[in-house]
Amino acid sequence: MATNFLRRVYTSFATNIIDVPTRLLAFMLFLLLIFLPLAQLGSYILYMLTLANIMAIFAASWDLLVGRAGQISLGHALFFGIGAYATALLEQFYGLPPWITMPIALALGVLAALLVGFPCLRVKGPSLALVTMVIPLIASSIVLLYALAPITGGASGVPVSSFFPFLVISQQRVAEYFLTLILLLVSGTILYKIANSKTGIVFVSILDDELGSKACGINVTRYKLLAFATSALFATLAGGLFAHVVSGAGPATLSLGYSFLIIIITILGGIGTIYGPIAAAYILQILDRYVLTISVPVPLEWHLLIFIVVVVIIIIKWPRGIAKFVTDKLRDLQKARELEERGKHVWKTYRKKEKQPIYED
Amino acid sequence: MVERFKFQISAMCDDLASAMIDPSVIIVQGAITGAIYGLLALGFTLIYGVARVVNMAHGALFMLGAYIFFALGPLGMFRLEVAPALILAAISLGIIGIIIYRLTVHPVTGDVLAAIVVTVGIAMMVQQLVLIAFGPNYQPVPPFIEGAATFGGTTVTYSRLLAFAVSLVLFAVVLIFIRITKIGSAMRAVAQDREVAMLMGVNTTTLYMLTMAISTSLAALAGILIVSSTTLVAEPYMWQQPLAISFAIVILGGLGSVKGSLVGAFIVGYAETGVAYLIPEGGYLQGAVALGIMLVILLIRPKGLFGKHIELE
Amino acid sequence: MHILEVENLTKRFGGLTALNNVSFQVDEGEIVGIIGPNGAGKTTLFHLLTGFIKPDSGTIKFKGENITGLEPHKIVNKGLARTFQVVRPFRHLPTIANVLVALQSPRGNKQIEWLKTPERKAMEMLEDVGLSEMMLEPAENLAHGDLKRLEIARALATEPELLMLDEPFGGLSPIETAYLTHPIQRMHLDGRTVIIVEHKLHALMKLAERVIALHYGEKIAEGTPQEISKNKKVIEVYMGKAM
Repeated sequence: MATNFLRRVYTSFATNIIDVPTRLLAFMLFLLLIFLPLAQLGSYILYMLTLANIMAIFAASWDLLVGRAGQISLGHALFFGIGAYATALLEQFYGLPPWITMPIALALGVLAALLVGFPCLRVKGPSLALVTMVIPLIASSIVLLYALAPITGGASGVPVSSFFPFLVISQQRVAEYFLTLILLLVSGTILYKIANSKTGIVFVSILDDELGSKACGINVTRYKLLAFATSALFATLAGGLFAHVVSGAGPATLSLGYSFLIIIITILGGIGTIYGPIAAAYILQILDRYVLTISVPVPLEWHLLIFIVVVVIIIIKWPRGIAKFVTDKLRDLQKARELEERGKHVWKTYRKKEKQPIYED
Repeated sequence: MVERFKFQISAMCDDLASAMIDPSVIIVQGAITGAIYGLLALGFTLIYGVARVVNMAHGALFMLGAYIFFALGPLGMFRLEVAPALILAAISLGIIGIIIYRLTVHPVTGDVLAAIVVTVGIAMMVQQLVLIAFGPNYQPVPPFIEGAATFGGTTVTYSRLLAFAVSLVLFAVVLIFIRITKIGSAMRAVAQDREVAMLMGVNTTTLYMLTMAISTSLAALAGILIVSSTTLVAEPYMWQQPLAISFAIVILGGLGSVKGSLVGAFIVGYAETGVAYLIPEGGYLQGAVALGIMLVILLIRPKGLFGKHIELE
Repeated sequence: MHILEVENLTKRFGGLTALNNVSFQVDEGEIVGIIGPNGAGKTTLFHLLTGFIKPDSGTIKFKGENITGLEPHKIVNKGLARTFQVVRPFRHLPTIANVLVALQSPRGNKQIEWLKTPERKAMEMLEDVGLSEMMLEPAENLAHGDLKRLEIARALATEPELLMLDEPFGGLSPIETAYLTHPIQRMHLDGRTVIIVEHKLHALMKLAERVIALHYGEKIAEGTPQEISKNKKVIEVYMGKAM
């Protein structure tokens, strides 16, 4: 009986993962990522990859909302900031440990999504973009209000303790890396599954033609709120993780910078794919740090300028993201291979039938 | 806590009383601010109404206009007089606008998200370029004209009055242009129905570029006017506030509505002036007024005062 | 009880009165045609009946229940479905997914029998309109005639009691038109009520039991196809005054 079960697991694994080249690749990458810390790369690189994990969760959450449900949100940093501040303030004022503050933060994020969702539901397209962009700006000014500084910590933010205060710094980095990696895998899988479920199909119908969706009997409002809430859940998770990893929650977490960072990541990775942004988060993080270390003689202002120029050029050339471009190319290559295979097969059959000597290539 | 609150309320009443003696302060200053904001919002609304582009670089172009004017003007590298510097700055920003549009926005026509991201990219590029060229420090900018006039109990600087006049005149000029000229009609046609306009022979690409030129020139002029009359300082990060104000006005007035931009501009202008004069330490809160208005509008009526609600596409 | 009762329905758009005091009833199981020149208010009537716009005055009753001003999806879930004059498929989704969306609605979901997956049900609906070969094809690759059939499959997925078809034969060749009359007749045989707006009068007259004629937002005639084709006012409206 046990062998039967194992055999089924293996068959499922073989057909679901090994047969599909891209999934095999992803799986191998995942293995690489899990065993990475053994390579003794140093705390800094692990820290960098931990941040990449967090940004990947954040970007994937945005992709579900915008790439699938079509609700352009330019203010996703709102939930990121809520996650960071919620876990920070709960710790500061009530002394609660992370495993209590994080779930509460998640609940607050979802609540915020539902509250924010209502005005957002009534506008579409560019108006929605503006509205969503403005909301975290308002939140950030509230946080920075002089009068509220004793609560919110003003411009310097709120300090946050690590997830693993009982470990040494170097070990903390490893632990944080694994924690965020596992959460990334879980979040990514959930988001991907939702995107490809029947609910995901309804999301795409809303993106394509909201009125047509209504004519199919779909309560578009409810589905939009669902998309907002689900997306916010994971964005808030990312924010909370971020606060604990960087040991603080500051007004920057609500800033336009983070909203736009994930937009850039997602567009570069391929909007709508869910896995594209995850890959792009990694690539961007690695690129960023490497460009920084290599081009040391270039002053900081030039560094940012060059980065922006490169991003703008990429977006102009591939507005739907690089992932689509890459997968299309892979599919073309695969078609070419299939044609070749079929051609060889036809040739072999022909030779057998004719039984004539053929010149060998 | 309650004691402090009570104290603040009585202080506010005192201020209100003193302001009540001279409401003309708020009326006059609010009008001036409203007019200049109207010019700022007009550019933003035009490019959205005609080309459906949410130009996130609007604030950056505002800033660039002010900096180029400063560089061309009496204190800058070129030491021109104020008037030619102003005209040259406006024209050069118009040309820059066309170049930006052609290179970056045109390739992603139709994709709202890509256009937004690209224009944010432009905004940040402008910020970095200004940072590299002029340095990160606050750059004091002298007012247009020294001196002030006093009437009816309030004192207004000549620069502010000039800015007020120029803004109103320019706004009127643009409105007349849109109403009377063929190009203006083409702009209105494209704003209403792009496809039919194309069938009527309107070259939308050229029209978009022209609208962009007008929009960026207006942004630049608004920048020059505000910096040389009101804020009197320029710094590389100052592009965010005008962008936020443009948003507030356009959300309040309704995206794509010129009438709404004017009305919204005055409402925002008066609200800011009211807050600055009536609330103690209101200067700090001024920046938040725009955001506060946006919050209220978003909760009550997200499509704004004159926003169009397209029900069936 | 009539399945649909429209009383004094009026809708104005600014200065233009699109519908002026229109009233009519439809009984269960009927096939009713609505004709009228362009601008007569036919599509406005559809939008009003299906909740996409709200009337300025008048009431709409479906199965005795007042549905005036209800949201579109609620009306669909009560059993009133429509197709669109200009086809609007979900472009990014494959054909079968287009039908699956309708099956995700509360009413559509109820219709899926035990032990049947939604995909299975969607496949059956596509077979009914003859689109099963295109099942996995992205909807944007379909030809116009196929898209018209997809519209009908999507509307049928919610098992409506009253189905409103807005120019179902629009843009179809005579062969495609003839082909499409079969599913419509089958709907009628299934006991559904059908209201069709159509310009192709010969196709409509063959299907409809009763015809309502609209002109400039007003009902100008009502009767059997024979009566309507002989009605003086209708002829005048379509052909112009006799010389």
